[in-house]
Amino acid sequence: MVERKDILQEPVKHIKINGELTVDQLIRQFSNSGSFGAGRLSAACNIYERMLRDEECTVFLALAGAVVPAGMRSLIADLIRERLIDVVVSTGANIVHDAIEAVGGHHYKGHWKVDDYLLYKYHIYRIYDIFVPEEDFIKMDHKLVKIYDSIAAENEGKSLSSKDFTWELGKRLNDPESILRVAYETKTPIFLPAVRDSEFGYAYLLHASRKNVNKLLKVDAFKDVLEITEICKRSPKIGMIVIGGGVPRNTVQSAALASKKGLDYAVVITMDRAETGGLSGSTLAETVSWGKVKEKADKIMVIGDAMIIFPLIVASVIERLGEKFERTPYIQRENLLGT
Amino acid sequence: MEKEGFSQEKFCGNCDNHNTYNYPDQVFCTLRLLQNKNPIVETLWHCAEWIPSTQGCYCVQEAKKNKTKK
Repeated sequence: MVERKDILQEPVKHIKINGELTVDQLIRQFSNSGSFGAGRLSAACNIYERMLRDEECTVFLALAGAVVPAGMRSLIADLIRERLIDVVVSTGANIVHDAIEAVGGHHYKGHWKVDDYLLYKYHIYRIYDIFVPEEDFIKMDHKLVKIYDSIAAENEGKSLSSKDFTWELGKRLNDPESILRVAYETKTPIFLPAVRDSEFGYAYLLHASRKNVNKLLKVDAFKDVLEITEICKRSPKIGMIVIGGGVPRNTVQSAALASKKGLDYAVVITMDRAETGGLSGSTLAETVSWGKVKEKADKIMVIGDAMIIFPLIVASVIERLGEKFERTPYIQRENLLGT
Repeated sequence: MEKEGFSQEKFCGNCDNHNTYNYPDQVFCTLRLLQNKNPIVETLWHCAEWIPSTQGCYCVQEAKKNKTKK
C-alpha cells in the first residue's frame, strides 16, 4: 500500500535566477520546480536527451502547424544535418513553405490585426502574423511544374512514395539551407502523408492539366505505409517528437502500432484540448489505450506554443550533449532504407 | 454593379485567370500555362480569351502608375 510519506517525496525547489543563465541552466531551474508547464518542459528535454543517447532508438519528428513559415526552417534542417532527427513526417504545407524559400521566396513579419481584404487586393496571403506574397507561391508552382516533369521523365511511370518524392525534390533544389535539400543529402526520410493537401497538389493540377502532357508524376500514398512501418518494425526502439499533431502524429503512431511495438518515447507539444476527441489534443494516456504508445513509455505532453517550446528543448538538449557528441541514427547504421 | 477598385478595361491584371508574378508589372496566366505557352505576361496586356474579373485587386492601377513613372 502506498503510504503518505511515499507521496510527499520531493519538495518544490523555487526557481533562482542569479545573473546570466544558459538555456539549459534555466531549464534545470524549471526542473527543480517541477511544476506546471515548466515541469513539463524540463521533462520533455530529459526525454529528448534520452532518445538521442539511446543507440537503438529511431527518432521521428511529426510536424503540423505552420512552424516552417514562422521561422523553424533552419532549426529543422540543422537537426536533420546533425543527425538529431532521423525521420520527418510532415504536413505538405510545411514542406511547401521550405520549397518557397528554396526557390528564392520569403515569408514576412506581419500582424494579425490587419485588413485582410487589403491584403487580398495586394495579393498577399496571411498566416496569423506572417505574410507571404502570392508571387512567391506562383513562382514555386511554376518551378514545381518543371520539376514534376523532370521527375516523371526520370522515373518513367514508376510510382513513388512521398519519401522518394521529397528526395527527388531535394535533389533538384540547390539551397543548402533547405529541409528538402538537407534530407536528400543525408538520406533522411521525409514522409508527407497528406501530400496532395497542399500547394504540392495544386502544382500537380497544373502539371497534369497541360495540353498534350504524356508523362505524369505518380505518388502512391500507400507505399508510405509499407516504408514507414518497415522502419518502425526494424528499429529496436522508436521515439517521436510531435509539433501540433494531426495527420503527421497519427502517421507515426499508426506505424508504431502496425509494427506491433508501440512507441518507447514520446514528446507532444500542442495547444489543443482532449475534449474534442481530435488527435492533436488527445493525451498520451489515451494513446496508450490504442497500443500506439507503450504503457511504460518515457512520455510527456507540453501544452504551449511550439514556436517557443521546441527551440528551448533543442537548445537545452544540444547544450547537454556537448560539442563532442556524435550520433549515427540506427536506420543509417543498419541501412534500413537500403540506400 | 461595378466593384470597388475594379477596372472594366481588358487587362491580364483583371482577368479571372491571373495571379501576380512580379507585382504589379507581370502576371502569371494559368490558361497560357495549360496551353503550353509562356504563362508570364505583362499586367497591362490581354489575350483573346480575356475573362471578366471577379478579383478586386490593385494590379492594374499599380501597373499603370508604374508605367506612368517610367
